[in-house]
Amino acid sequence: MHQRITRVAALGGLAALTLSLTACGPTIGDSDSTADPSKLQAPTEASPSGEITIWDREGDLFEVFDEAIAAFNEKYPDIVVHHEAVDIAAKLQNTLITGSDVPDGVFLDDQLVAGYADHLWDLSDVLAPYADDIAPQKLDVNSQDGGIYGVPFDLDPGLLFYNETALESAGIDAESIETYDDLLEAARAYKEAVPDAGPIHLEQSPFLGQLQLEMYASQLGTAITDADGELRLDSPEYEQILTFLDTVSTEGLGTRAEYLSPTDIETLDAGKQVFYPWALWFDFAPQQLLEDTSGDWRAMPLPAWTDGGARSGAMGGSSFIIPKDGENSELAWLFYEFLMFDEAGYSAVWGPNSVYPEGLNTSIPSYAPAADPSTPLFQPVDAFGGQDLWAIATEAGAEIPGGVPTPSWWAGAVDYLGNNIQLMLDGSLTPEEVIDNSTADIQANLIDRQ
Amino acid sequence: MTLTTRAGERRRPHIGSHAFLIVLAVAFLAPVVWAVLSAFKPANDIIRHPLAFDPSTFGLDNFIGMFEDVPIWHGFLNTAIVLVLKGSITLFCAPLAAYAFAKYDFPGKNLLFGTVLLTLMLPTIVLIIPLLLEMKELGWVNTYQALVLPGAVDAFAIFWMRQVIAAVPDELLDAGRVDGCGEFGLYWRIVVPIIRPGLAGLAVLTVMNIYNDFVWPVVVASSERMATLQVVLSTLASTISGNKIGADYATVTGELLAASTVALIPLLVIFFLLQKHFINGILAGSVKG
Amino acid sequence: MTTTSLPRPARPRRRGAGLPITRRLAPYVFVAPFVALFLAFGIYPMLFTLRLSFTNWHGAGSAEWVGWDNYTYLLTSPAFWNSLANSAVLWLLIIPVQLVIALAAAILLDNAKLRMRGFYRTAFIVPFVTPLVAVAQIWVVLFDQNYGAVNAVLGALGLPDIAWLTSSEWAKPTLALLFIWKTTGFIVVILLSGLQSIDSTVYEAAELDGAGRLRRIWSITVPLIRRTLMFAIVLQTLAVFQMFAEPFVVTQGGPYSSTTTAGLYLYNHITRGDLGTGAANSFLLVILVMALSLGMVRLLRAKD
Repeated sequence: MHQRITRVAALGGLAALTLSLTACGPTIGDSDSTADPSKLQAPTEASPSGEITIWDREGDLFEVFDEAIAAFNEKYPDIVVHHEAVDIAAKLQNTLITGSDVPDGVFLDDQLVAGYADHLWDLSDVLAPYADDIAPQKLDVNSQDGGIYGVPFDLDPGLLFYNETALESAGIDAESIETYDDLLEAARAYKEAVPDAGPIHLEQSPFLGQLQLEMYASQLGTAITDADGELRLDSPEYEQILTFLDTVSTEGLGTRAEYLSPTDIETLDAGKQVFYPWALWFDFAPQQLLEDTSGDWRAMPLPAWTDGGARSGAMGGSSFIIPKDGENSELAWLFYEFLMFDEAGYSAVWGPNSVYPEGLNTSIPSYAPAADPSTPLFQPVDAFGGQDLWAIATEAGAEIPGGVPTPSWWAGAVDYLGNNIQLMLDGSLTPEEVIDNSTADIQANLIDRQ
Repeated sequence: MTLTTRAGERRRPHIGSHAFLIVLAVAFLAPVVWAVLSAFKPANDIIRHPLAFDPSTFGLDNFIGMFEDVPIWHGFLNTAIVLVLKGSITLFCAPLAAYAFAKYDFPGKNLLFGTVLLTLMLPTIVLIIPLLLEMKELGWVNTYQALVLPGAVDAFAIFWMRQVIAAVPDELLDAGRVDGCGEFGLYWRIVVPIIRPGLAGLAVLTVMNIYNDFVWPVVVASSERMATLQVVLSTLASTISGNKIGADYATVTGELLAASTVALIPLLVIFFLLQKHFINGILAGSVKG
Repeated sequence: MTTTSLPRPARPRRRGAGLPITRRLAPYVFVAPFVALFLAFGIYPMLFTLRLSFTNWHGAGSAEWVGWDNYTYLLTSPAFWNSLANSAVLWLLIIPVQLVIALAAAILLDNAKLRMRGFYRTAFIVPFVTPLVAVAQIWVVLFDQNYGAVNAVLGALGLPDIAWLTSSEWAKPTLALLFIWKTTGFIVVILLSGLQSIDSTVYEAAELDGAGRLRRIWSITVPLIRRTLMFAIVLQTLAVFQMFAEPFVVTQGGPYSSTTTAGLYLYNHITRGDLGTGAANSFLLVILVMALSLGMVRLLRAKD
């Protein structure tokens, strides 16, 4: 990494002098006849200097990144990072559209990246040296028309969380679950033993329900659209997933609740909900919110849809975007390059730090050398009976099939697809109707309006 | 129900009136009391046991974390500055313009007032981008001008004050003219004293509106240096509103409740001070003739 | 009771050449500071938005002129009409209840002899300045179907559980309660300022007539603050139709778009970057709200 910079600097030294590459975005591309002006290039100075403004959302990650900035400055002492916690949802769009006081880098949910692509640097050139080692799903969701618009941050593999103690006392061995049919069988058996249980979580928030649906789809290597942006809900894969959810619902095998709402938390802690197919970030609940069942929980790879199928899919996740109108975009790239692809950087993010003495365990790196199952960045977790979540999550992460670009209207589809899933769980739509109605509505109200 | 007391409006109220007001006050305050008390609870307990309050677990962790994490002092300072500047402009300009609308006839009046009503009806959210583009052209992004001037004379204030001033009898103005009052003198010496209760109400609502405003400040004040109290609060709120993705929303909820609690205090003080004006306003209003 | 103390509708003077120049110039001077600010920060953004409503613009590149396309899309979209219907139902749930509560509270607070007036007044105002997201937390907790405090109370009374936030029938009343809780203080302040302008001799005269309390309120107080009431109604109509923050934080417009208010529907266009449709939606909303307000003003006038 360090060598790479110096090598590039040596090779490009003369060019840098003659072309006077400054920290100023668009001029670089203009002066280089071969480069596409919309693609960001890395700076070539040996010791770049300048100031960058980085937006993050308030909370634990902000503090984690804050510490990582100190590590970054050991490597790049002349780059001053202004790290600001802001209401990104309210500010980013306005700031990008009007071009006023645009930050150099922003932390953003993956589903939102494509929607801002017009305002962002295409990062495919700077990411090229790392691309082979980045989880394909993460590169794919950040792509739009051949460009890549986000530096992939975390990978959020879906896992099957289960209450081992409760299942054992009902005589069920969760480890033997390999397919969703097995999961249904186990749920039926548990329901037999604990009649007032609804063993499997059924998400009631339309947004999160749709996000979870996409996790299942990601497991099957599909998504709401194909690479050309054409809808592909009308497929055997979606039918299989929706039929599974419908079965859980109609057989009374589910607890319908919004993620971590009072009903959700109470039923989890009472042993009524014992299976939670969700992204790794659910692990926060047993660690911080659950009391009676904390320590009883374990995680395993998701069941497969077919024998031998992938055992995980991606759910949620974030990336870093670099707006074209930022003043020091190249330096922002150096910052994110350090954070994600330099050992000192990713160790500062996921390894032990003052915010998380045992490391940040709600996500894993999307960069393969950082996500090595045998060299954990975060420690085994007590709330999971000392289970090595790192190994389980990184192995699951490696199984996630590649994805496709997230359409910019993804969040808008919640009004149709997200709602229709809920109507199906109510019993008022069949899986086929969810597919047909959602396809028609999304086409008419979102795709055709772009 | 409770309105059956025989006493007149200026007599001591019946017990039923108190009962009604107390029930109402409890209903209105309970969620706020919940928020304030919860701010002292361990963050995870706020989510896990939202309705349980065990004083032995109370502590200041949320407050300490909040003071470390967000620039709330900047928020106080900036809100105070904006409150004074913007509030003065509104309280001076809006009733004066409203007086012209209510008591004079001049060419262009109806068109102008119609446009005022139109802006009142237009949702603020659609105006953000054009306004921000304008601020950028003026070089005002991240300045006090940008926080103060747009919306300083809002349509609501004009509309309301026009209603209030319209109720002032024309005969009083005519009498003033006979006494040799100038046009501004009529406003200042005759109209203002009569509409004092309305002005006091406008003062209260203006303070509350400015204090509460966050859509525009969040967008136009991008640096921490310029953040108002509501910008600080929205930074915390944005992490937990919506979909709870991520791990830290318990901690941030704790900090948000702590920040909301701290933010309430100065407002209660301001309100208490305005209250006195309010009562003076009533007296001034009731001795008018 | 003297005739001069009775407020009456404004009767602007007729334009006359005979008026002194100061009197003809005065109104322009009085509105000048306002007009300056209004032209700069009111008219300009409004015209910009009007133009935007005829274009397809997602925030980047140049806007494409599409004529009435955004308007016809909205007017033929079931989702648009659904958002209006949701707001109309919320309006019916909110306005009558809120007006009665606010009027009763304001009349009681108007009494100078009432003890703890400061406390009550503050109590009604505090919700208005409490951040919505902090309040939304407690709303979700109170109204949770299985573990919420409200259903616990209902259960203790032997009543069945209600799916407050998760059924389309009950989500609107739950939201209406939040809105009433949040904004009634605002209306109390407005009504109070109207009540305080009433000359107390009016009441004394009525008392001599021996009129009962409720009758006095209906036949004296209400007519005297008719303008203020009208103002409050128009203002709340606007607020209800533009409401977006409350459903956004509590229900995200669900379940099944039953709480996607006109304001939230519009907000969604804008946050999804569809600025042209958002602008068109705003103007449609303006027309509707204006028509509604005029209708109500007519109705109230007719009652005189």
